Amino acid sequence: MGSMFRSEEVVLAQLFLPTASAYACVSQLGELGLVEFRDLNASVSAFQRRFVADVRRCEELEKTFTFLQEEVRRAGLPLPRPEGALPAPPPRDLLHIQEETERLAQELRGVRGNHQALRAQLHQLQLHAAVLGHGHGHGPLLAATPMDGPSDLTPLLQPPGTPHRDLRVNFVAGAVEPGKAAALERLLWRACRGFLIASFRETERQLEDPVTGEPAMWMTFLISYWGEQIGRKVHKITDCFHCHVFPFPEEEAARRVALEQLQQQSLELREVLRETELFLSQVLARVQRLLPTWQVQVRKVKAVYLALNQCSVSATHKCLIAEGWCATRDLPRLQEALRNSSMEEGVSPVVHCIPSRDMPPTLIRTSRFTAGFQGIVDAYGVGRYQEVNPAPYTIITFPFLFAVMFGDVGHGLLMFLFALAMVLAENRPAVKAAQNEIWRTFFGGRYLLLLMGLFSVYTGFVYNECFSRAMTIFPSGWSVAAMANQSGWSDEFLAQNPLLMLVPNTTGVFLGPYPFGIDPIWSLAVNHLSFLNSFKMKMSVILGVTHMTFGVFLGVFNHVHFGQCHRLLLETLPELVFLLGLFGYLVFLVVFKWLCVSSAAAARAPSILIHFINMFLFSSSPANPPLFSGQEVVQTVLVVLALAVVPILLLGTPLFLYWRHRRHSPRPSSPLQEDKAELLDAADRDEEKAEGPREPEELVLSEVLMHQAIHTIEFCLGCISNTASYLRLWALSLAHAQLSEVLWAMVMRVGLRLDLGLGVAAVALVPVFAGFAVLTVAILLVMEGLSAFLHALRLHWVEFQNKFYSGSGYKLSPFTFALEDE
Amino acid sequence: MLECAELYFNVDHGYLEGLVRGCKAGLLTKQDYINLVQCETLEDLKIHLQTTDYGNFLANQTNPLTVSKIDTEMRKKLCREFEYFRNHSLEPLSTFFTYMTCNYMIDNVILLMNGALQKKSVKEIMSKCHPLGRFTEMEAVNIAETPSDLFNAILVETPLAPFFHDCMSENTLDELNIELLRNKLYKSYLEAFYKFCKNHGDVTAEIMCPILEFEADRRAFIITLNSFGTELSKDDRETLYPRCGKLYPEGLRLLAQAEDFEQMKRVAEHYGEYKPLFEAVGDRNGGKTLEDVFYEHEVQMNVLAFNRQFHYGVFYAYTKLKEQEMRNIVWIAECISQRHRTKINSYIPIL
Repeated sequence: MGSMFRSEEVVLAQLFLPTASAYACVSQLGELGLVEFRDLNASVSAFQRRFVADVRRCEELEKTFTFLQEEVRRAGLPLPRPEGALPAPPPRDLLHIQEETERLAQELRGVRGNHQALRAQLHQLQLHAAVLGHGHGHGPLLAATPMDGPSDLTPLLQPPGTPHRDLRVNFVAGAVEPGKAAALERLLWRACRGFLIASFRETERQLEDPVTGEPAMWMTFLISYWGEQIGRKVHKITDCFHCHVFPFPEEEAARRVALEQLQQQSLELREVLRETELFLSQVLARVQRLLPTWQVQVRKVKAVYLALNQCSVSATHKCLIAEGWCATRDLPRLQEALRNSSMEEGVSPVVHCIPSRDMPPTLIRTSRFTAGFQGIVDAYGVGRYQEVNPAPYTIITFPFLFAVMFGDVGHGLLMFLFALAMVLAENRPAVKAAQNEIWRTFFGGRYLLLLMGLFSVYTGFVYNECFSRAMTIFPSGWSVAAMANQSGWSDEFLAQNPLLMLVPNTTGVFLGPYPFGIDPIWSLAVNHLSFLNSFKMKMSVILGVTHMTFGVFLGVFNHVHFGQCHRLLLETLPELVFLLGLFGYLVFLVVFKWLCVSSAAAARAPSILIHFINMFLFSSSPANPPLFSGQEVVQTVLVVLALAVVPILLLGTPLFLYWRHRRHSPRPSSPLQEDKAELLDAADRDEEKAEGPREPEELVLSEVLMHQAIHTIEFCLGCISNTASYLRLWALSLAHAQLSEVLWAMVMRVGLRLDLGLGVAAVALVPVFAGFAVLTVAILLVMEGLSAFLHALRLHWVEFQNKFYSGSGYKLSPFTFALEDE
Repeated sequence: MLECAELYFNVDHGYLEGLVRGCKAGLLTKQDYINLVQCETLEDLKIHLQTTDYGNFLANQTNPLTVSKIDTEMRKKLCREFEYFRNHSLEPLSTFFTYMTCNYMIDNVILLMNGALQKKSVKEIMSKCHPLGRFTEMEAVNIAETPSDLFNAILVETPLAPFFHDCMSENTLDELNIELLRNKLYKSYLEAFYKFCKNHGDVTAEIMCPILEFEADRRAFIITLNSFGTELSKDDRETLYPRCGKLYPEGLRLLAQAEDFEQMKRVAEHYGEYKPLFEAVGDRNGGKTLEDVFYEHEVQMNVLAFNRQFHYGVFYAYTKLKEQEMRNIVWIAECISQRHRTKINSYIPIL
């Protein structure tokens, strides 16, 4: 948890990697994920870098892998996930993989090509058979060709004795894709009108497409035409539509023979095809076994080379120089990893930290419990390096503020159980592997939900609400019997007045406060709502002021850590005075009134609201008695003090900085010191960088003033608006309570009041309860839960975090092989 | 059409306009060109193109990489984008798209007819055809022997049909006739497209009409330039000029009389728009050619088309800009592959 308080110390490490072992070192670093490499070759374009040839080789390999993968997928086979640790293979193994892949791909291409060719051949045969079969259906066409003599039985073409004896009728038969058939027919007609008869027909069975394997209908056609020239045209046109044209014997007997031949051929072909498929599946099985491992390995190799591309080469070409951010805590591990991976080479890599002017990245290690809360903070903005991290406090305050708005024992319990189920099942692979985005969102926030549910149960007890019903755990602090006895209510009086009042001032009626939460008797009262409203409103203000004050206090840690102690005095103190003097005093008034004004004095109880308004107007109203003596003096002092600190807040820091700048800037002695420092630093390789921080800071007064002015205005106005903003706690909690009340009254109570026989009512209650349950989950749990979540989020991001958190950093994203999302 | 496109344009075409503007943002920048020019081999070029919007469009190409492969893949990519636009378009934008493809269809038909004349195989020529101008009946073009044959049998169903009304003749299709046919087709196409844009009105007309006017005049100039020293008579020449440009009618009449480049230049000097273009043309020893100057002007007009919203011109402009970019890449790739680096910088930058 200590590391949660602020981000870890991160240093810029310079790694000298001997050329021989650089690859092994970086691959080891990738396994561990310790360092975020900086690009030292930003000015060099992608294809001029040192290892671009290797990267390109990996890309070639990946291309082949894509091909193999596609083939496996097309065969409908799954690719298993690689198992076990697969380190990036040394470069010489890469060659081996490359060879193997090439061989496999070539083999597969060959088999696949054969397979394809065979299938195409088969397709061709089938089409041919279909076209020949087409002839049967075209009896009329064949018969209608000019002939005389009663040759109806044989559809042969024997045109004896016709006037056009020399004009032989010729046939073109073939098949075309159905989509093109209409266009083909039209074009044929237009191009050679009158000189041909075409008949189109769909194939009886669907044929498998040789490329995609999908079944598709084809259109067979039979064109009979007269004349040579037309024949040429017809052939050209059929060519242009990519038709398959087949020889079409004119005699039926010949057709039948051809058909039989075709069937014979296709039988043989099928046999060959089966063999080929068997072989293909063997090759694919081999691919299936080897490919996943290779894919992971090559991806790692590529990543390593890309990382190496970011290194610069030392002057002697003996080693590569890498720079990267690394957590100080991980430095020993880094050194050890480097030592281990370069054991064989003899020359060991050197790591040393170099100073840097850039802001280091932020690293906050999270566990699965804290990850969700850190996520909430990071969604607003990743913290500046070493800034106070609001996440540890969010763990408690977030679920608590949520629960204030969601207070209901029943609903909280349901949410808690749901989250508990997720937490208990979190190690099951099926749950982890679920891809549903909504489910993953919920699953990622399971610990958050768990705490939210738990706190809701707690606040539910405080509000004394379980599905909007009050629970009587302890005996009520009010006694109706005592009231009835004391005031002597007669039966008539009771009959006439449906509403009775319990007066706490009567002895024995109010026995003392309820031990925990709201007294259940309030749920019977008609002024239940106004009582709760007053209570919740005050509670919201108290919580809000506390929360914001806590935020301001957290700023102290930032100022101390960054060595800006002047800001403690010039910023935090005025802020605290302003906040506590005005709104802290309001909280004090609320608590004071709760403690000191009893029900006996209820008739002339002072109004806090009027007091608070009067405080700003420096006036007093005689109708409103003071809460304590000397109240006016205290109030005046507080307001004056609060107003007086505003100029301090506005001008303090800029003037202080200006003063310090004037005092520190050109002094005769300092250059000498700097010279010395530079001499010392001359040993350092990276002179420029080392020199950096020593340059005198530029101070632009106007800019600092502007920033401070914005900050001041934001804070002072923010105190007012943010306090008001916390009233959303009251509003949402009210809305939730009222919604669940309405749901109970409109659904469940109606069902319970059904005036039917016992059995019928029991049966009728089943759908009523189902409706109640569904609406409870859908509206009260999901919808209301989301809205309360959203408001809790806003209270944290806007009202709490703007008091101290800048969130202007960036995350440390180390070079790692770990898969992110899979 | 009502003259307030902003009120209803987005209902039908907002998505596509957004899309095309996004695509336009992916055009190569000046920096990209500077990097491309530095490439040593086509492989380098490929790596660099991978970092742009082209992505790994060459990833599945087998080695060795050639310029024509790059060209084909780029065309395919443009074609995919265009098909997407077209498939998602509603009237009258889809008609607009059809008009855009007619341009390529004319070129393809002429190409095929020329091929048939030279007895080349259809397949070989098909590979040279622009994919945007593909249509089913295209390959049957070579069965036609006269223009009316061509129209009656093949093109009557295509969008090109209406442009045929004044090209119907029984002349046999020799090289000159094909060229005449192309220019006539082009002329009626441009005029029809111009009329369509004009009738559509609104911003589309404001943007598209100047572009098409320029296109028409450019054709007139180029036809004139190419007809010097050929057997084409002056009257015939005049019938080929598209009559929707700024030159119509007076300039075209003068152009028809022109006999050499100088006279043509004199005609252009009457027009403020074309005067600077002709002045920018270098002499024979170097400098820009007339074609390059026209291209540059076209690029400029197309880029400016993106300054207005709610019109169809962006689609036209995007396609033209993309084509220019492809020409540039092919130019650079050719220079690299032929190791002819002196002229590598004479691509036409897209602003």
